Amino acid sequence: MPSFIHESLLWWGLPLVGVPILIHLINLMRHRRVSWAAMEFLLQSQKRHQKSILFKQLLLLLLRMLAVAAVVLMVAQPLVRNQWGAMFGGSKTHHVVLLDDSFSMSDRWADTSAFQQAKQVVSRLAAQAGHQDTRQVFTLLRFSRARQLARGTQPDLLQEPVDANFQAELEKVLGPLQPSETAAEPQDALDAVERLPAKRQDEDRVIYVVSDFRAKEWQEPIALQKALRRLDEAGGQIHLIDCVDAVHPNLAIAALRPGAGTRAAGVPLLLEVAVRNFGAATAKQVSVSLEEDGHARPAVVFEDVPAGKLVTRRFPVLFATAGEHEIIARLQTDAVAADNLRSLVIDVPAAVDVLVIDGDARGQDAFFLTTALAPGGKITSGLKPLVESPRYLHDHPLESFETIYLLNIARLEPAEVAALEAYVKAGGGLGVFMGELSRADFFNEQLYRDGQGLFPLPLAGPAELLVDRLEKSPDLEVTDHPIFSVFAGERNSFLNTVVVSRYFAAQKNWNPSPESGTKVIASLRNKAPLAVEGKFGDGRVVVILTKASPLETSLGSWNNWGRDNPSYVVAMLEMQSYLSTARHPDSARLVGTPLEVPVDVARFLPQVRFVLPRSGGGGTLAVDAATSQTGHSAILNETGAGGIYQAQLTGADGSQRAERFAFNVAPEEGDLHKLDGPQLAARLEGIRYEFHQAGDINYSPQQLAGLNLSESLLYFLIAILLGEQLLAYACSYHPSAKGGAR
Amino acid sequence: MPASKRFLHPEAIGRIARLDLRARYIVEGFLSGIHRSPYFGQSVEFLQHREYTPGDDLRHVDWKVWAKQDRYYVKQFEEDTNLRATLLVDVSGSMRYGSGPMDKYEYGCTIAASLAYLLLRQQDAVGCVAFDQSIRVKVPQRTKRSHLNAIVQALATSAPEEKTELQSILRGVAESYPRRGLLILISDLLVERVGLFKGLRLLRQHGHDVLVFHVLDDEELDFSFNGPTRFEGLELPQHLACNPRALREGYLEALGVYLEEVRRGCAQDGVDYALLRTSQPLDAALAAFLSHRQGMQRK
Repeated sequence: MPSFIHESLLWWGLPLVGVPILIHLINLMRHRRVSWAAMEFLLQSQKRHQKSILFKQLLLLLLRMLAVAAVVLMVAQPLVRNQWGAMFGGSKTHHVVLLDDSFSMSDRWADTSAFQQAKQVVSRLAAQAGHQDTRQVFTLLRFSRARQLARGTQPDLLQEPVDANFQAELEKVLGPLQPSETAAEPQDALDAVERLPAKRQDEDRVIYVVSDFRAKEWQEPIALQKALRRLDEAGGQIHLIDCVDAVHPNLAIAALRPGAGTRAAGVPLLLEVAVRNFGAATAKQVSVSLEEDGHARPAVVFEDVPAGKLVTRRFPVLFATAGEHEIIARLQTDAVAADNLRSLVIDVPAAVDVLVIDGDARGQDAFFLTTALAPGGKITSGLKPLVESPRYLHDHPLESFETIYLLNIARLEPAEVAALEAYVKAGGGLGVFMGELSRADFFNEQLYRDGQGLFPLPLAGPAELLVDRLEKSPDLEVTDHPIFSVFAGERNSFLNTVVVSRYFAAQKNWNPSPESGTKVIASLRNKAPLAVEGKFGDGRVVVILTKASPLETSLGSWNNWGRDNPSYVVAMLEMQSYLSTARHPDSARLVGTPLEVPVDVARFLPQVRFVLPRSGGGGTLAVDAATSQTGHSAILNETGAGGIYQAQLTGADGSQRAERFAFNVAPEEGDLHKLDGPQLAARLEGIRYEFHQAGDINYSPQQLAGLNLSESLLYFLIAILLGEQLLAYACSYHPSAKGGAR
Repeated sequence: MPASKRFLHPEAIGRIARLDLRARYIVEGFLSGIHRSPYFGQSVEFLQHREYTPGDDLRHVDWKVWAKQDRYYVKQFEEDTNLRATLLVDVSGSMRYGSGPMDKYEYGCTIAASLAYLLLRQQDAVGCVAFDQSIRVKVPQRTKRSHLNAIVQALATSAPEEKTELQSILRGVAESYPRRGLLILISDLLVERVGLFKGLRLLRQHGHDVLVFHVLDDEELDFSFNGPTRFEGLELPQHLACNPRALREGYLEALGVYLEEVRRGCAQDGVDYALLRTSQPLDAALAAFLSHRQGMQRK
């Protein structure tokens, strides 16, 4: 027995079936009267054809009534359950709507947006589910909440019965919904469906993925394929509903980060801003307006951003005071707004502490290095070197130092080695210079340890670089490494005048593998490595295999670099920048990721007040600190909006301490390239699903779950009308072509 | 409108005036000799005795001969008049039908008036009988030109009403016009055929030259009605509500059979027959028929 989409129309329409009878009766009354002489022949004809005429007339009347009935039924849209529906014969249909609210859904065009389309689709699906005879329940889950489902968060609607009040309830839920600024993925949502209460035997489950089907997620959807196949095999009917009509051009600020260099108050720092063009045409004269601590700065203008390319520009900033500073970059409005804004919080200390451990008590090496790093006088580098003996490593905490340098070390105690390794592992930067006191055995056994230690290479021992009078090439050959890149392209580089007489040779046959992260960044004229970079834990180690000081030693002078050669100062400052970068990872926090703030309960109350950014609605939120593996910490999960979050800690003495954190959107989400139906079909081969455009969702879920007979009825109606015309012609009810009507 | 204008159309008269109506069979003629006239009259000299045959008027039986010989003989005298033509005009209810400017009655009367004019013009005697189921009006035969008015008046006062009963009418006519003459029957012949043919045969047996003008309307011949129609009988209280187009084929078939039957019946009895449509121009129809009849006579 079919059901009807517009069942009420039946009550109005079916009485119309009697209309042909009514017309027939009216026609009987409207008979023309003719006084006729030749009745004899007329009666003869009537007598002869009476039966066939009556039969034809009845048939004609029947056909006309059928035609009216067919029109009424067609408008009422009868449905019969499709094979799936018949197979499971469910008494309940569970509509699971997965609503993409990643910020690419904020894609705007004309006077609508992808998310607005999606909300309309959800509304229409729900409205028409209400017309179904059987029991209907509705679940609405946003992509951005899907991942949190495992943590106990509930979907927006969970198995809500679709009754008379449901539409109003749904509008209440849908109304305030806005696209999140997260890059929530369909994978999480599909996985979340499996975490919903299991499908019952008598339940039909229809899963709608209401999304924009961006290429970056669906280009190679191996995991999505698996998830969809699981849902398909579990008996769910899958409908993919596309809410975007076309790809719209979009620009995104892909990055806003500090460049290499010392971050200290009063020291100029280069910041980098990168713009990616996701459109199909080159964007010209792209202006990025900047704001520093709430004050506008001159905008950075990009002449050209070619299609699909990322273009980076640097701009200098000078923070006069120590502390946290905010930088905000904004693009002009385009299709997607969320990725037009990027913020950065940069913590600038008054000065950067650098620990210099000199193995020689006279401190000659330390003198040259510290002079290079902090020349004093009017020039400020922001660095504050502290020269100490090796014992300092064991006795004092090292975390506060940006970098540590080991100069001409003879040996270290195991505790000192352990402290140093812990420091580097945690992201510290270590620079090592060799010297006449250095012993290859110590380095190999304690620091290198067959590649397990922090030292990047095994040493053979001190060596002398033979002077070849005929050889005109410089002693120092550098690679394109950040430390030396400043010299790249310079003619008559001062590096060329560096003379290296002695160095520590690496062991023969030492050849670092590319995966280890260890590489030679500068070598000597005889191809022996002079500068080697290695990674240890999160930190970096750079080893210069000669002395920091150019002064004479018991073995003679090792090099002339530090003497009268400006490249020494430059290279040392670059090395300092490079090593300190590890201490400042580009901590781009993504919206949607929890913000964990460690709380030292000995000093602060175990509650953190979070001030949310204005774009996230503003306001404050108090979160109690909970015990975690690393101590106490307060975790803020409500980081759905981009901007700057402030965590306020209250000291036991009532003092306040605030920390700020910049949360930005994932710039890749701004890539609006999408897949259309056929492209999607090619990637989801073997999975039963139906693909729809949002505009096509004018039909009911019943249609999705069943077969609409309207089209068949249309053909039936055409056949009836043709038959009616033929029969009417045969019955001579058509006016004759010639002679005209009388 | 005076009756003479109603039924005498100048254009029709003008067209047929150059023709004349001649008897195909032998009639007596003394004026210009255009009619051979073997009619036996009463007022002229005795011609012969003839053995009585059923149907002969008993008044003509010679009782003296019967007394002598015990046989029935009728006396026959030589006729002393010219051609005597009688117009038999059907004025029954069925003649009232007409879809064009003239109904069958008017058309028939016009034919009758035209022919009367023609006959009077050639000095023949013309009489007229208007009938339905009985004889409504009877105008005696005269040769005076002024007699035309009497005929036209008689036709005009005979409004169609009753049904037709031809057999008895024709019998009556045969009896009341014992002299051979020309009998022109103008009717739609929507009557019982057996009676019609019997009547015609009787007239022929009496030696009359009989002409039949069968007048039918276009609609009766073509039946081109459309749309739901209720047909109501003009002579009988019959009616039929139907879709005429559905019945057209059967109607035309039955009509064809009827026309064929009439034509054949007339031919068998030696009656001249002409089917006239009311839409046909009267003069053309009459002229064509009279020319045709002259052609036949020359043979």
